[in-house]
Amino acid sequence: MKQFFSFVLKEARHILRDRRTMLILFGMPVVLMLLFGFAITTDVRNVRTVVVTSQMSPQAQQAVERLSASEYFTITATVATPQEAEQLIRRQRADLAIIFAPRHEGLQLMVDGADPNMAQQWTNYAQQVLVNRSSSVITSKLLYNPQMRSAYNFVPAIMGMLLMLICAMMTSISIVREKEKGTMEVLLVSPVRPLMVVVAKAVPYLVLAILILTTILLMAHFVLDVPLVGSLFWIVGVSIIYILLALSLGLLISNIAQTQLVALLLSAMVLLMPVVMLSGMLFPVESMPQVLQWVAAIVPPRYYIEAMRKLMIMGVGIHEVAREVTILSLMTLFLLTVALVKFKTRLAD
Amino acid sequence: MANAIEVQGVSKMYGRVQALEDVSFSVGKGEVFGLIGPDGAGKTTLYRILCTLLLPDAGTATVDGFDTVRQMREIRRRVGYMPGRFSLYQDLTVEENLQFFATLFGTTVEAGYDSIRAIYSQIERFRDRKAGALSGGMKQKLALSCALVHSPSVLFLDEPTTGVDPVSRKEFWDMLGTLKERGITILASTPYLDEVRRCERVAFLDRGRLRGIGAPEVILEQFRDIFNPPGIERRGAGCVAAPQQSTRPENVIEVEHLVKAFGSFHAVDDISFSVKRGEIFGFLGANGAGKTTAMHMLTGLNQPTSGTGTVVGYDIRTQHEQIKKHIGYMSQKFSLYEDLTVAENIRLFGGIYGMKDDEIARKTDELLERLKFDDHKNDLVSSLPLGWKQKLAFSVSIFHEPGVVFLDEPTGGVDPATRRQFWELIYDAAARGITVFVTTHYMDEAEYCDRISIMVDGKISAIGTPDELKRRFHQPDMDHVFTYLARQATRSAD
Repeated sequence: MKQFFSFVLKEARHILRDRRTMLILFGMPVVLMLLFGFAITTDVRNVRTVVVTSQMSPQAQQAVERLSASEYFTITATVATPQEAEQLIRRQRADLAIIFAPRHEGLQLMVDGADPNMAQQWTNYAQQVLVNRSSSVITSKLLYNPQMRSAYNFVPAIMGMLLMLICAMMTSISIVREKEKGTMEVLLVSPVRPLMVVVAKAVPYLVLAILILTTILLMAHFVLDVPLVGSLFWIVGVSIIYILLALSLGLLISNIAQTQLVALLLSAMVLLMPVVMLSGMLFPVESMPQVLQWVAAIVPPRYYIEAMRKLMIMGVGIHEVAREVTILSLMTLFLLTVALVKFKTRLAD
Repeated sequence: MANAIEVQGVSKMYGRVQALEDVSFSVGKGEVFGLIGPDGAGKTTLYRILCTLLLPDAGTATVDGFDTVRQMREIRRRVGYMPGRFSLYQDLTVEENLQFFATLFGTTVEAGYDSIRAIYSQIERFRDRKAGALSGGMKQKLALSCALVHSPSVLFLDEPTTGVDPVSRKEFWDMLGTLKERGITILASTPYLDEVRRCERVAFLDRGRLRGIGAPEVILEQFRDIFNPPGIERRGAGCVAAPQQSTRPENVIEVEHLVKAFGSFHAVDDISFSVKRGEIFGFLGANGAGKTTAMHMLTGLNQPTSGTGTVVGYDIRTQHEQIKKHIGYMSQKFSLYEDLTVAENIRLFGGIYGMKDDEIARKTDELLERLKFDDHKNDLVSSLPLGWKQKLAFSVSIFHEPGVVFLDEPTGGVDPATRRQFWELIYDAAARGITVFVTTHYMDEAEYCDRISIMVDGKISAIGTPDELKRRFHQPDMDHVFTYLARQATRSAD
């Protein structure tokens, strides 16, 4: 046991003395949270709108009033021909043009489609505002996220991404570093069980990951106003299962990689890319091609992010996320077993 | 009494390379046994097999009576191992390293203190310093302390003194002598002949085969052509000035009162000397005496705190760019790209120094022919033996015909025969008018220089031809001169 603590202490010293890495590890969650919370947003707000009409008909008048009354659209100009409107959009002065055709009552929307997702959303919003003439917009009641804040969506996703990155990448790099520096040889030629070496290495990163998790949760609650309606106990509990899973993955990578660079690339490419692309963080899994959906089914953060959305935002009980938690636990068990069985007690040749 | 180490017909292949082939020998309890042979002979592989890190393809080995394959854990409890590479944690302090390794072996520094006292007491005053900030000699002492703290019965030392100065090496081997008195069996490898002679028996390994085993003198005599090659005849001895360069000043390096201070610590403390064209100048000193710092100032990598100096006629304080164009440099860390071929490396360095393509092509052929490397032109550098790499690195460093070439411990870790070939290249370069400025820890190489200086505590304490110095200090050879002067050092090596 004393050996174990001495090992953990040594590992903690490595981490604490590497100031720059520490700064990045703690700075990254803060920066990412602020970026996703404030800067990157998919909320529809203040869309610069051009109204195209040759003479203001009563219908057009009404529509314009309804549009400017909503917080979604801002009328920036009124022009006579569609060509002028197109010019405005091409010169990046407007995002959307609403063309009231003269004589008959048709309506045409012209949208800047450079960002197809946003264009789709603007069109939907504009259609709702314009079609429903009696009231303003169809009154829809949004459960759990009444203000349509994207932070609600991103916070669980950032947790899924960062915890995976920090645990898997940092453990694999720190183990491979010992291989590279030659210290692993000395550790192996000692009475210490190689397994203990590895477990002791994971402990400081487990602590670090929990600290980062706390930072993210505190920021989410106090800075981004994301409610933590679910049970904090289960949020942390499920997160720890996920952290263990990430640590096992890191261990697995360290078995394969011989240099720190390879460990880094493996963690970044093999883990991070699928996490970002296939976990439902940016693009909904349901709208992916069938093949990618199958691949997405084995991406662990997907289940974690789903579970966190349900637990944090919807505030459901643990039994509602039983499926996700079971899948995560099984994956953890599987990866950990493989990593431990594959761990080499001698040098590879 | 059973032997401490018993090796029976051990073979090991890496892919298609035969690292060890049917090696058998035994080492008695308490014996100091040397493992010698050129780079790539299979020494490290043998260590790893004995330390249970690798499995042999064939044959068996026992350490302290335990089988290396089946009784791995028993062996790991009983041996101390110092791998060839520096194997401590650079970001932990001396004391933290020692404590960590003590707990690793289930003991404490206090309990194991008696077994390491002789060694650790020498570095104990630096206990709060980071291991990475220690000098080469001190690092080896710390590594040895860490390997000894649990009182192992067998100690494996893989080239423990490569890159360590002669005085520290002597101290290191004196310590090994005290370990023998305590009954610890030692298996050590070394490229230094004086260390080979301090072993009781040695085994000579060459390309994976055991070529001979016996008392050091017998083996050294038997393989004299490798370990004790005849001295080199200096062709065109003295200083040869190429006629087309005669307009330049006679002194290629001139230094006056050069000082480099880091805070209150004077790494280089007021040195003055000059080196003539075509001269081979040996720049000696113990680890931490200030050699590397001085060399960095001469090559324009570092600004002097005070003092003046010129290299090939350019001011070292202001004309770094000019200096860099007119010198060659080869560092102790190997300075070619391992993943490029021989020809690609030459092409690259020629290009860096602004040589024309046709000139590079012509000189590449000349060079490869001179080195007899023609067949290996398109081989990856990583596939060459260390001695070849060093010869190639040297040839590349003088490829652009610099006025002076700086060699920082160019021959670390290679056998005497290869070093001798390397020195033939140096003489060749000097004969062509290239001044050679070289640091080394091999005192036989010091004898090959035209003139040498010995640095102690940041100052030059002696300068002159090898014969002059031997006479002045009444010592039989350079090794004794060096030891005599370096022992006067007062400042701690770091």
